Amino acid sequence: MNNHPYLRAYLAGVFIPTLIFPVLITLLLVARLIAPDPIPVERIMIFPLAFAPVAWGLWNVFWVALRKFSNVPLGLHGAILPLLLMPMGTVLAKCLGIITLGAHSVTWFQAVEIPYWQIGCSFAFGLVMYYLVWKYIIGFVNRVLGIA
Amino acid sequence: MNAQDENRIKQLLKQTLPPVADGAEPERDLWPAVLRRLDADVAPRHAVPWFDWALISGLALFAISFPATIPVFLYYM
Repeated sequence: MNNHPYLRAYLAGVFIPTLIFPVLITLLLVARLIAPDPIPVERIMIFPLAFAPVAWGLWNVFWVALRKFSNVPLGLHGAILPLLLMPMGTVLAKCLGIITLGAHSVTWFQAVEIPYWQIGCSFAFGLVMYYLVWKYIIGFVNRVLGIA
Repeated sequence: MNAQDENRIKQLLKQTLPPVADGAEPERDLWPAVLRRLDADVAPRHAVPWFDWALISGLALFAISFPATIPVFLYYM
């Protein structure tokens, strides 16, 4: 298992987004059926389908490459990823009309309204979630694939 | 290496290493110690520190308190 470590790192990295995507798409399709206003599922799918898995895979490849020079813990490395992904996803969502910025809140998917004060907390908890997911789940997959 | 050297090495090895008696057994059963060593190697890898449990609890509490944020989190994953 010493061949192609970067390929195995990429596959380990895309593990979580490919599991999450069907859950997200199911929730969106159910929401589309019951929501009074139409939900733009096709536009919402672009970021989780095209950007997130590639970013996760390349981020794990980057961690494997980085280990030759420094010993950054995987959890900490993963917790840095939302600092890149969240602005990217938000800008894309704004460009595609998925989010609407209001005076006191942001409306996601034309259905979920989140006040601004909650967004700060959500960002902090997003970092925590990424830390835990990378430390335990991606770390486990990395061990299974013989990378870590 | 000639035959004389080989004999010399044999003599030195015999002098250095004590002879092992026929049918010699260790004084105690070594297998439990091997198992303890294996368990000690495995345990830290799977142990979740209290700090991470606190983070998991906080995350669960946040998700329960603000369920509307769950689809947004999923969007970024």
